[in-house]
Amino acid sequence: MEKMIYSILSAKRNPEKLNALLVGMKGISDSDLCAVSFDEITAIVSDFKRADLIADRSNAIEYAGVIENLAQQFTVLPMRYGSVMESAELINKMLERNYHEFQQNLQKVENKYEFGLKIFCDSEKLKSELRIKSEADIQTPEKPATGIKNSVYKDYVDKKLKEHRLEELMLTYVDSVIAKITGYLDRLNTINKFKKMASDTNIIDAVFLLDKERKDALIHVTEDLKNQYPVLNFVLTGPWPPYNFVEIAIK
Amino acid sequence: MHDNVTDQSKDITMLELLDRVLTKGVILSGDIVISVADIDLVYVGVKLLLSSVETMEQLKAGKPIIL
Amino acid sequence: MISDNKILFNSGSLDELSEEIGKLTNNEESRLKLGPDNADSGLAKLVLTLVELIRKLVEKQAMRRVDGGSLSEDEIERLGETLMKLELKMEELKKHFNLSDRDLNINLGPLGNLM
Repeated sequence: MEKMIYSILSAKRNPEKLNALLVGMKGISDSDLCAVSFDEITAIVSDFKRADLIADRSNAIEYAGVIENLAQQFTVLPMRYGSVMESAELINKMLERNYHEFQQNLQKVENKYEFGLKIFCDSEKLKSELRIKSEADIQTPEKPATGIKNSVYKDYVDKKLKEHRLEELMLTYVDSVIAKITGYLDRLNTINKFKKMASDTNIIDAVFLLDKERKDALIHVTEDLKNQYPVLNFVLTGPWPPYNFVEIAIK
Repeated sequence: MHDNVTDQSKDITMLELLDRVLTKGVILSGDIVISVADIDLVYVGVKLLLSSVETMEQLKAGKPIIL
Repeated sequence: MISDNKILFNSGSLDELSEEIGKLTNNEESRLKLGPDNADSGLAKLVLTLVELIRKLVEKQAMRRVDGGSLSEDEIERLGETLMKLELKMEELKKHFNLSDRDLNINLGPLGNLM
């Protein structure tokens, strides 16, 4: 019977707590949850039917709910929705092959939560601000003395060049915001990941990994940032299980 | 008014959650998620995608994709 | 815990935000849909996305060169001609297959968004 895998965790300190927890929970489509272990690493799985995998988003939400519940009691490595293997034996072998990586990752995320910070701005407004600031700097190539007439192609290049320079200015601005954030987070001992210009309005999409206890400190940092950048909008979400911090190439 | 705010907050939380559970987390292999014939989530191995000509023919003929 | 509100801080209006996040997430439109009716345009989307990606990269690199000041007038002229024709061709193709810029940004799951 095919198994859906929800997450990887270590229950070596408290196997009874895990069993008690699993008994009180259900997987997707009301399935029972059980543990498949190799040595100190455990995969939380349930039986499932292929039909469930191709259902609507409510199954994915249920799946994430299982991960959340586990994450409240244990350090977990969340699996992506749709993680399926053919049998418990194969899962066992997979745990064995990747044992070291799982151990390392569990250690990395122990007692930590993930938080997301998305920063929005009106891109056009920002661009016009930046454009005004830099209009003086933009020089287009000089017309040659021989008087070669302006061609439509040269105009095209001029247009593209202006766009390019504006984009570079945007990126420089975004980099400076990221540098500021990194500075503020320095004392919180975080791992940070930034995505720039995820969309026209989402100029920074960041995720942070930090100690659970530092949630309030992170909220304060966000408030400070808002004061620094009144023109930007900040949205902080969390705490989440460490979805963005589990990079393992499964063998 | 209060309810509307709460609902929207929940919606946003849901979207953030789905983004994580569908596109992040540990993956078992380098499969690509593709929606096939209106079915929301089907994992198609990268190898299958690259040798997709045959599959296209099957799709056109209305046959189900064999994973 | 799922039903908890996970928003810890939000300085903008919620309307704006749900619209934003809706655009960002892995919704149905951004997945590559291949069905019996649209297998052709599914493939076209994939191909055009890759072509557009390359075109954008070439354009970016070209602008860096122009900005660097190392190109002659002639070279700039020729560059402009080539890039412009490329862009026009792309517009033609997009129109032909009825694809917008947004259509061409495919979510490749583990590989993230193409652009």
